[in-house]
Amino acid sequence: MQNNRKYRVRVRQLINICKDTARKIKKYNVDEFEIFTASSVDNEIEIFKSKIETLSFSDSIGIGIRIFKDKSVGYAYTTVLGDNSIEDCIKKAVSNSEITGKEEYNYLPVEEEYAHKRKLISDELLFRENLLDYRIEDKVAMAKKLEDLTRSKDKRITDIENVAYQDSIYETAILNSAGFCDNYKKTTCLIYVNAISKEGNDTSTGDYFGCGRSPDDIDLNHVASKAADRSVSILGGKKIKSDRVSLLLDPAVSAQFLSVIADGITADSVQKKKSVFEGKIGEKIFSADINIFDDGTLPEGLSSKPFDGEGVIKGRTCVFNKGYLKTYLYNTFTARKDKTLSTGNAVRASYRSTPEVGISNFYIEPSKDGFNELLGHMKDGFYVIDIIGMHSGVNHVSGQISVGAKGLWIKNSKPENPVKEVTIATDILNFCKSIEKVGSDFAFFPLSGYVGSPSLLVRDVTISGK
Amino acid sequence: MLENKLTKKVLNILLGNGADFSEVFVQKRAFNNLRLEDSKIENSTSGYELGCGLRLWIGDSTFYAFVDSLEEDKLINAAKVLSSALDGSSSLKVLDLTGVKSSYRTRIKKSPASIYSDKKRDILKLIDKNSRNYSSKIIQVTSILSDVEEEIFIANSYGSFSSEKAVKTFLAVNAVARRGNNATSGYKSIAGTSGYEIFDLKSPGILAENASKIAVNMLDAINAPTGEIPVVIGPAFGGVIFHEACGHGLEADAVMKDASVFKGMIGKKIAGKAVSAVDDSTIKYHWGSYKFDGEGFPSSKTVLIKDGILESYIYDLRTSRKMKGKQTGNGRRQSFRHIPIPRMSNTYIDNGSEDPESIIRSVNKGIYAKEFAGGQVDPATGDFVFGISEGYLIEGGRLGLPIKGATLIGNGLEILKKIEAVGNNLDFAPGFCGKNGQSISNEVGQPTIKVSKITVGGIKDQDAE
Repeated sequence: MQNNRKYRVRVRQLINICKDTARKIKKYNVDEFEIFTASSVDNEIEIFKSKIETLSFSDSIGIGIRIFKDKSVGYAYTTVLGDNSIEDCIKKAVSNSEITGKEEYNYLPVEEEYAHKRKLISDELLFRENLLDYRIEDKVAMAKKLEDLTRSKDKRITDIENVAYQDSIYETAILNSAGFCDNYKKTTCLIYVNAISKEGNDTSTGDYFGCGRSPDDIDLNHVASKAADRSVSILGGKKIKSDRVSLLLDPAVSAQFLSVIADGITADSVQKKKSVFEGKIGEKIFSADINIFDDGTLPEGLSSKPFDGEGVIKGRTCVFNKGYLKTYLYNTFTARKDKTLSTGNAVRASYRSTPEVGISNFYIEPSKDGFNELLGHMKDGFYVIDIIGMHSGVNHVSGQISVGAKGLWIKNSKPENPVKEVTIATDILNFCKSIEKVGSDFAFFPLSGYVGSPSLLVRDVTISGK
Repeated sequence: MLENKLTKKVLNILLGNGADFSEVFVQKRAFNNLRLEDSKIENSTSGYELGCGLRLWIGDSTFYAFVDSLEEDKLINAAKVLSSALDGSSSLKVLDLTGVKSSYRTRIKKSPASIYSDKKRDILKLIDKNSRNYSSKIIQVTSILSDVEEEIFIANSYGSFSSEKAVKTFLAVNAVARRGNNATSGYKSIAGTSGYEIFDLKSPGILAENASKIAVNMLDAINAPTGEIPVVIGPAFGGVIFHEACGHGLEADAVMKDASVFKGMIGKKIAGKAVSAVDDSTIKYHWGSYKFDGEGFPSSKTVLIKDGILESYIYDLRTSRKMKGKQTGNGRRQSFRHIPIPRMSNTYIDNGSEDPESIIRSVNKGIYAKEFAGGQVDPATGDFVFGISEGYLIEGGRLGLPIKGATLIGNGLEILKKIEAVGNNLDFAPGFCGKNGQSISNEVGQPTIKVSKITVGGIKDQDAE
């Protein structure tokens, strides 16, 4: 079976599409324009009971055109790259610019925001040639191995619900009428397992993942142990009494809370009055001396990139320093509204969407305190291993959070019994204030963006059970 | 959309190395999407996509590829790459293709392409005006208007093909109200598999006022009570609880993988006698309806639960063959980029006999959950959570103050058994459902129902603002 060795780098093709399209746009009476192209070659494998359940390949390419006219913006995209389709796409973008509202901040990034003079992360770090050496058979074998490893970790594991492997070769180029024209390429790969365990009448699930730029970066044994442990440790879980308790959040849980904070510090949500962080620049938000960064230059960060969705240089931004809120995250539009420069946080899910504000690698700086020190410090409380319902359980406007949780009840710093079907209720600002300690057991998670956190010790949070 | 000769050629290349089944799925789509915020149209995006998904099976394994193109050499190349994943040989060959029929028919009166963009802008402007006029406490209105026109052609190695033209229109509004430091929001939507004539039946202006009403009502919300208490769940969007807690567990892929609490339960009593539930993709113009599913099988009505007894799972082609169940036309996919899997369409708890008012009157101390912020479920265990976005206390059989920050948590199988009363006011609500990274259109629905006990999580005792 063939591998990706046949892959040919597409830089020239993408740049040519951009240049051809730019020539076509010149016939129209517009003020500024931006052409975004992206191509993606993906491979996905799902294994179930040692067999290939699905195996898929895809090769896609598309173009998105942003037109600025009289301070209004219009957008259109197409996956069909023939001359006529691109011409239609330009016409639609122009006509879309005729019905959107005028905003004085609608113009392309300015000179000092562009990346081409001082890239902070190089293509070589993002694009790992050796992903291309992996044959389909190698990837299938890897997924099967993860299934076996996970099953072998504990005899109570009865089934592996899902093992999924995916990798991607992504290339993108941006050209705009202000003279920016650049490209980059990157590889990513991810493997995921979900283990079902049973004991008596109780069923429990636990999942984990590994990711990197090539399969070389992934430690299958670690992924298997984590998934198995997360599944069996909560078997036999029972409800506990409603109370106010201390929480010790596993990094996988902490990261989900952190991503709620991330949503609140994007300038877009602040400017639209949908964030509890509005008007809080300079204020102490965390009681503890917590540092939080958005860093698009981390060599190991899967969201690292030389420039963002508008061509703005992607650097490192300190969002919280010793607990104080220092800045929001910006794309160019929101930055101008606040009379500042873009922080390089224009995110494009694909050529199908316009640049919105979003995080890159967003993380809490770990401390030197290990997990056991946090456990010792907590004494009695709820060690939260998994939560469900975070995406529906947050009201960003009011800040209220209410999620389902499972884990272990800790008594005298030792696990006493598994807990399930309880909810944690707090709100974003109280949650920030209640974090007492940050651990050292740091891990990144692929949420919307790449979010990293160690374990967190949080005091005095309401839980509801019986 | 694809020439008969080329279709057969591609299907046969896919079969060539020993596959048991092959399929082509061709899709052409034009989208328009407008977003209003801060009283301005801040985004207007159009998209055009044309592509083809190729699928084959061998044994229990599915192989899939897609290309953003219908060019002959690209299709044939992709089919060859996919087929090269197998190393056997096949005697199967497609000689003829016969059209599949569906009894589902609709008529589009105002196609999106026929509506000038300034008319679309005016709908959003009206939403903004009516939302804000409802109350001076409304500080932000976000509204999305989107439409899709698509053509789909599906052919498979069983020798059948289907084609369908579809139109979808969607309008949603989110209103934010504020008083002091307290901010709340209200959400409402209109959606259907029809053109802009949908707004002649359902008024965008009233939609806007209803969203504002929720936001303003919730300003007076008190913290929700906590613990295990009786919960009355309102009609229409209340059906999301059945969708999440039971519907996903009835999807046959979860059952087949032993990842559903409903495995082995066909013919068994899983709910109170008052409970009947249905998945119906043939309800005309509803958001979750279609002529053919993503595998070219005609849409149909499937009784899932009848008088408390489990009757059927929700199948796609692969799971119905494997589990020897009757195909239900629920093999759905987000686009040509996605593999079809069993998905709900319009899924609802059917009407019972009770008067909704008397259901509320029967509760001495509990809550009334009217709108939800969405939910999540683990089908393997049946455990679920739902965030309540609009809810009220019930005290002495009467609706009381609105409550905030409430979440329902429980288990699908257990909740079904605890449904004590089912009202006679069935209604539907449109939405999007995510599964395996695919988002598709769904409707949830139900009349008012009463659950004897669910754990409610809230933030009682927390220092109030």
